[in-house]
Amino acid sequence: MDDREDTGGPGGTADMTEGPSSGPPAPAGEPLLRIDDLRVDITSRERTVHALDGISLDLAAGEALGVVGESGCGKTMTALSVLGLLPPGGAVTGGRILFDGRDLAAASAPALQEVRGNTVGMVFQDPLTSLNPTMTIGAQVAEPLLLHREGIGRKEARARAEEMLRLVGMPQPSERMKAYPHQLSGGMRQRVAIAMALVCEPKLLIADEPTTALDVTTQHQILELIDSLRETLGMALILVTHDLGVIANRVDRVAVMYAGKVAEQSDVRGLFARPRHRYTEALFAALPERAAERGTELHTIAGLPPSLTVRPTGCRFAPRCLFATDACREREPELIDDEDAGAGHRFACFHPVPYGDAPEEQVVTPPPATATEPGEVLLELDALVKEFPLTGGPFARRRGTVSAVGGVSLGVRRGETFGLVGESGCGKTTLGRIVAGLEQPTAGSVRFDGRDLAGLSRAERRAHRRRIQLMFQDSTAAMDPRMRVGEILREPLVIQGVGTRADQERLTAGLLDAVGLPRGAVHRYPHEFSGGQRQRLGLARALTLSPDLVVADEPVSALDVSVQAQILNLMRELQHDRGLTYLFISHDLAVIRHLADTVGVMYLGKLVETGPAEQVYAHPLHPYTRGLLDTVNVPDPAVAAAGDREPLHGETPSAAKPPSGCRFRTRCPLAQDVCATTEPPVSTPNGAGHQVACHFPLAVPRLASTV
Amino acid sequence: MTGFLVKRFLQALVVLFLVSIIVFVLLHMLPGGPARAILGPKGTPQQIEQFNHQQGYDRSLPTQYFMYLKRLLTGDLGDSYKLNSPVFELLKQRLPKTLLLTVLSTALAVVIAIPLGLLQAVRRGKASDYALTGLAFLLYATPVFFLGLIMIILFAQVLPVFPAEAPQGESIGELLKEFSGLVLPVVTMAFGIVAMFSRYMRSAVLDNLTEEYVRTAMAKGQSSRRIMVRHVLRNALIPLATLLGLYLPTLFSGALVVESMFNYPGMGLLFWNAAQGSDFPVLLGVTLVVGIATVLGSLLTDVLYAVLDPRIRSVA
Repeated sequence: MDDREDTGGPGGTADMTEGPSSGPPAPAGEPLLRIDDLRVDITSRERTVHALDGISLDLAAGEALGVVGESGCGKTMTALSVLGLLPPGGAVTGGRILFDGRDLAAASAPALQEVRGNTVGMVFQDPLTSLNPTMTIGAQVAEPLLLHREGIGRKEARARAEEMLRLVGMPQPSERMKAYPHQLSGGMRQRVAIAMALVCEPKLLIADEPTTALDVTTQHQILELIDSLRETLGMALILVTHDLGVIANRVDRVAVMYAGKVAEQSDVRGLFARPRHRYTEALFAALPERAAERGTELHTIAGLPPSLTVRPTGCRFAPRCLFATDACREREPELIDDEDAGAGHRFACFHPVPYGDAPEEQVVTPPPATATEPGEVLLELDALVKEFPLTGGPFARRRGTVSAVGGVSLGVRRGETFGLVGESGCGKTTLGRIVAGLEQPTAGSVRFDGRDLAGLSRAERRAHRRRIQLMFQDSTAAMDPRMRVGEILREPLVIQGVGTRADQERLTAGLLDAVGLPRGAVHRYPHEFSGGQRQRLGLARALTLSPDLVVADEPVSALDVSVQAQILNLMRELQHDRGLTYLFISHDLAVIRHLADTVGVMYLGKLVETGPAEQVYAHPLHPYTRGLLDTVNVPDPAVAAAGDREPLHGETPSAAKPPSGCRFRTRCPLAQDVCATTEPPVSTPNGAGHQVACHFPLAVPRLASTV
Repeated sequence: MTGFLVKRFLQALVVLFLVSIIVFVLLHMLPGGPARAILGPKGTPQQIEQFNHQQGYDRSLPTQYFMYLKRLLTGDLGDSYKLNSPVFELLKQRLPKTLLLTVLSTALAVVIAIPLGLLQAVRRGKASDYALTGLAFLLYATPVFFLGLIMIILFAQVLPVFPAEAPQGESIGELLKEFSGLVLPVVTMAFGIVAMFSRYMRSAVLDNLTEEYVRTAMAKGQSSRRIMVRHVLRNALIPLATLLGLYLPTLFSGALVVESMFNYPGMGLLFWNAAQGSDFPVLLGVTLVVGIATVLGSLLTDVLYAVLDPRIRSVA
């Protein structure tokens, strides 16, 4: 086992307090929090999952520790067990959690209550569901004070809560005290959750995926806020996330978890510069940001993490590791100090990445790039408008319109991938639904293969449907849970009356081969598959009718990095083999950059910029595009430290009342009077094919972008 | 909030209008028409024709409906065939008494059911939960008349603590003066409701306990008791509010059995007696009142919703 006998040693903790952390350094051997050989089981009726199997972590006062890993690795369980908030059936079966000299794992309920919200604050992932919907935010923020500060009156607690709301950047805090959670935006709700966790000025803040449910720009603002509050209050931070970009920029030290164990821990720069564990290396290599260049295959990690119902023998990563030997499968590697970097960097691997090698180069040699020959225009949108009525009041009176898509024109060529990128509410999904024929546009036209879709008769439209297919973000929700995979895949053929049953079954089997699933899958139900496998099914179903165009709406957003790489590679491969055209919708700039030939950037229903992917990323012309690129968390601490980035601030206005003129002007650093009065014209200052809708497009091409 | 209530009130008016149409149609569906119903099988055709002319039943249906509506709005629901009194007067006398019975038993049921449901949810899967759930199902499955009989035997005969007959006072004040006589009818009626309400409360609390805001509340360092009272209770009451409103008309029919059983002088007893004597105007009058109660019940649900759930309030 990987017990850390020497955690108390002066070398062990001294190295961990490096970095820009504030707050007084803990005396050697006295960390603020010490998790020592922690074991957690989660028991349900059918089985017991050994969720944590000997986790040891130290955290000095004022230090920021990142806990990173893919879903099911135990990172959230680690965070929850500190405050004794394990889900039903969860129990600490071994080890200690020493906080301020007290073992929280063995603490009584009242003792834990004394710590929770007082000396340790916690922020959860979903800011909507983690707030009480029927209580005002003022009352919710004031609550910890009333619980933990003896003799504080209701009035004073409210005054302090208001002060805290001001501190977390809530505009007009005194009015907002009376607001309910649903009246706030996602970002504002998360600010409330942070205010709640910090109102008692804790020594430690535990944030479990605090920005995962938020947009890029909001995510950035929340992380900045946590950073600055950490500095002001001098508290320590445990940041739990699956997002390597978030980890790279916000913490001093990182623990990489895999299958209920710590695989590697190090200071953040050391980890990103020289990962030693083969899992960490593979994880980095799977990032689209790290792909050698656009158009190449991503490195993937084959297989799935082990089920933790039985303790695996040997290294838990061995079944998926390219370097595993018999030794790895027989003995479990212990966490050892990196011989060169010193005690601050520890990993549990028998065959670590040797020093001096660039990690990406040596996993597998990427196959040559797939060349895409741009064909004729397959899909053409002309001044497309979609408005939704906003109803309410007596007798469902129409009270206004939501302008989801506000006049978008674009062309997608046959055989290419058009990446549509933007934040939530920008209209990208609505646009995709119109293209797929699921919504009728309010105005404007959709031309597909030279024909205006509005001119089609009912029968023609039905037949046309097979040429454009959809792939969804959540394949679980998009498949009938009571239908077998065989029926799901065959159904489109049956509806369109293609072939005999035998033909259909042959086609289905071929599709399963193509997406890399066993043919036996036809007899199983969707819930029997993992997330990545379900996404393969989603792709197979989209391809059943051999469409020309696949509209893929956030197809990899719910997946872990290693699985995401598998799906992206598969999509690229099938595009090459079948000559598919993709309209790929995503909020993830790195994924779009990796896959797309042409990029369109949407903001509040408008297409603000479009052009070849390399050009748009290297020389963004629209201030929004540049702001977006500067806001993204790059999984590389060196880039984040460079400091020439100008992230976006503010929030996206409501689509029910879009700003006049240029819709971005309220957040634009370059906005002038003309932006409020006149809608910006489309121009091409960077050569034909790279269009921008802006009065003042960025003239100076910036150096190569960092995403 | 006010706008929301105005909207719901206008909707309620529309539904009430529909209720009046249904009652009107029912009136005309009586076997052989109202004339045959009143004059009996021995009425001659001449008598029937004369009666129909007198009552306006020989005019066109829309005209008749218009007349009916006009009378309805002035509070004229016709006269009872048997009791020699305008239906409106009878209802005016009886309705408050039934309301008293309903309100008292509902209040008692809610007061018992909410803590009971909470307790069951907190003790989920433990012996006390199973025992209370079992008891609730037993009560739920027991017909009201049987429950009432047991109550009478136990508390009026074996242990003569409460009288088996309800007080017969003319006004509510008089009824309340003899409160001990109200105990058995109120308790009998409440028991039937407690079972259902506590069941709903239990599942609503269990649903809310898995919500993430409960985990947030725990992360603030609150005790389970405080979380229950301050956070879970209000959220769990929202589904109960629906139940309460939808249950109102059912309560009226529950009153029918209880009232006839304890000889309680309410609307249920009036209906019971009218049904036995084919006193159609009375029956239709009561039907109209129950229709109105149904509409008001759903209005009440919406108002309770808006009070309990700020999300509903702001949508409105």
